[in-house]
Amino acid sequence: MALVPLRYNLRSLFVRSSATALTVCAIGATVAVLAGMLSLQQGFATLFQERGRGDVAVFLRKGATSEGESGLTREQCDILSKEVPEVARDQKGAPLASAEMFLAMRLRKFDGGETNVAIRGVEPMSFAVQGDDLRIVDGKRFEPGSDELIVGEGLLDRIANCRVGDVLRVNTVTFRIVGTFAGKGGYRSEIWGDLDRLGKALERPVASRVVAVVRPDTDFAALTERYASDLRVQPKAQSEREYLKSQTGDLSDRFTLLGGFLAVIMGVGAIFTGTNSLLGTISARSHEIGILKAVGYRPFAIFVAFLFEAVLLGVLGGLAGCLLVLPFQGAETGTMNQTFSEVTFAFRTTPAVMLDAIAFAAGLGLLGGMVPAWRAARMTPTQALRRA
Amino acid sequence: MAEAIQLRSVTKAYQRAGESLRVLDELELTMAGGTFYALMGPSGSGKTTLLNLVGGLDHADSGTVMVGSVDLTQLDGSELAAWRAGNVGFVFQGFNLLPVLTARENVELPLQLTPLSRRQRRAQAERALQLVGLGDRMDHKPSELSGGQEQRVAIARAIATDPQVILADEPTGDLDRSTAAAVLQLLQRLNRELGKTILMVTHDPQAADYADKVIHLDKGKLGRIDANPGRG
Repeated sequence: MALVPLRYNLRSLFVRSSATALTVCAIGATVAVLAGMLSLQQGFATLFQERGRGDVAVFLRKGATSEGESGLTREQCDILSKEVPEVARDQKGAPLASAEMFLAMRLRKFDGGETNVAIRGVEPMSFAVQGDDLRIVDGKRFEPGSDELIVGEGLLDRIANCRVGDVLRVNTVTFRIVGTFAGKGGYRSEIWGDLDRLGKALERPVASRVVAVVRPDTDFAALTERYASDLRVQPKAQSEREYLKSQTGDLSDRFTLLGGFLAVIMGVGAIFTGTNSLLGTISARSHEIGILKAVGYRPFAIFVAFLFEAVLLGVLGGLAGCLLVLPFQGAETGTMNQTFSEVTFAFRTTPAVMLDAIAFAAGLGLLGGMVPAWRAARMTPTQALRRA
Repeated sequence: MAEAIQLRSVTKAYQRAGESLRVLDELELTMAGGTFYALMGPSGSGKTTLLNLVGGLDHADSGTVMVGSVDLTQLDGSELAAWRAGNVGFVFQGFNLLPVLTARENVELPLQLTPLSRRQRRAQAERALQLVGLGDRMDHKPSELSGGQEQRVAIARAIATDPQVILADEPTGDLDRSTAAAVLQLLQRLNRELGKTILMVTHDPQAADYADKVIHLDKGKLGRIDANPGRG
């Protein structure tokens, strides 16, 4: 079946630029909300998942869902580090494993108020486990056994007294900040120090977890199962990737849900705006519809032509929405993660986010255009021509 | 040979203010193919309604409308659209061109409904525009043309698919006298040289003079058909 030439619709949109712009703006605003929430969700999900490694094991206490809930004695940590055969060793034969303690501490924010910041006590081997993912960008590493700390660069602009040279009181012990580190994911929002010194200062004799580099073919479920009946330690073993995924899933889902909810509410408004605008357009162009019909275009061709126009308006709105959020690309914000500590993450408008947003906008156009296009298709030629 | 048009017991009524207004009343009319007819009558006599029925733009309430061997009253909306595309061309008082398209694109509109290739469509549209004397205005939009030129584009569009029947509703109503004469001469040429059957609604006796025959409608019925003395 012959369709109405596309240039007719394209030029009509251009000629009626004011009406087109208004509709595009209405859809664009809606899409910007959705794209914004999806960008936050992407930033948050990527924060943890992008640095999750498949060859690093995270051992928690059995039944714990996060390191905040977990607790392992030093003896248990030693068993996991030294006896688990999957744990890799360095050139000197030392296991590439480290016990870590994790706690959240209230610290002052620059913009007022306090927030929880993750404090991590680590052993020297933690740096080997992290490898190139973690590097000092200012100052130096803390000395093992000392009251020194290093701070993730994600905290520098958000938390007060966190720069090299500042001091931080942890309970009654004063720690000195000696370095700033860059790292992937959530670590860049943490403060690191010596495991034993921080354990003492925080009066916490147990570690939260053991991290270890493991053989690439490690079966984590089998590993967990193998120790299920060991009376000394019954760890829950996961790859770091799986662990981080489980940590971000809830909040990530909440971003998606909230974005979806707001987009649906605003989307309904945008659909009505689009429908209203297109009904106005069709009313103004009924004479042209009459001409097309008189010339011999079938009702279905008219329907497709106006639906195409509506979808095109939607796609333009989608692009406008993406343009609205793109300037925020890379902007950092913070929130509480699953372990109730502040994490900093960037707004990430990925190509997938933009495609989703544009598809959503096209859907809005499609829904908004149905009734007007149907109305245009159903007009008889004489009705349409008479309305001039 | 151009197709004849036959209307048998055609009735058409419109609802207006809750009342049924019978515009065509058991109309009987036969028009020979290849003839230029003017359709005259007072306002409300059913001229435009008759034109719309013959052009398949509207449905009769009862009776039959035959154009050639096709009974238009038996076709649904989509079938009528397909029939219009290949069998009839319209020329309206208000020119009815799409303002966003150029003269050539307007003329190509009905050609898009044919199986012609893009190149063939373009060539045919250009031939039609040259025939109406607008070979040098092909890429102009309607807003860049005079009223007479716009109407000639409309005529080019009406003949682009080479239909046998051309229906014109007050084609000179919006034109000055000399421009109107040029348009009427053009219609006359299409009838004489290309053998088109032309049915033209007009209020203007001078315009009707260009036709071979003048049909007079009165209150939805055929009054009389006059042969134009000046035409053979």
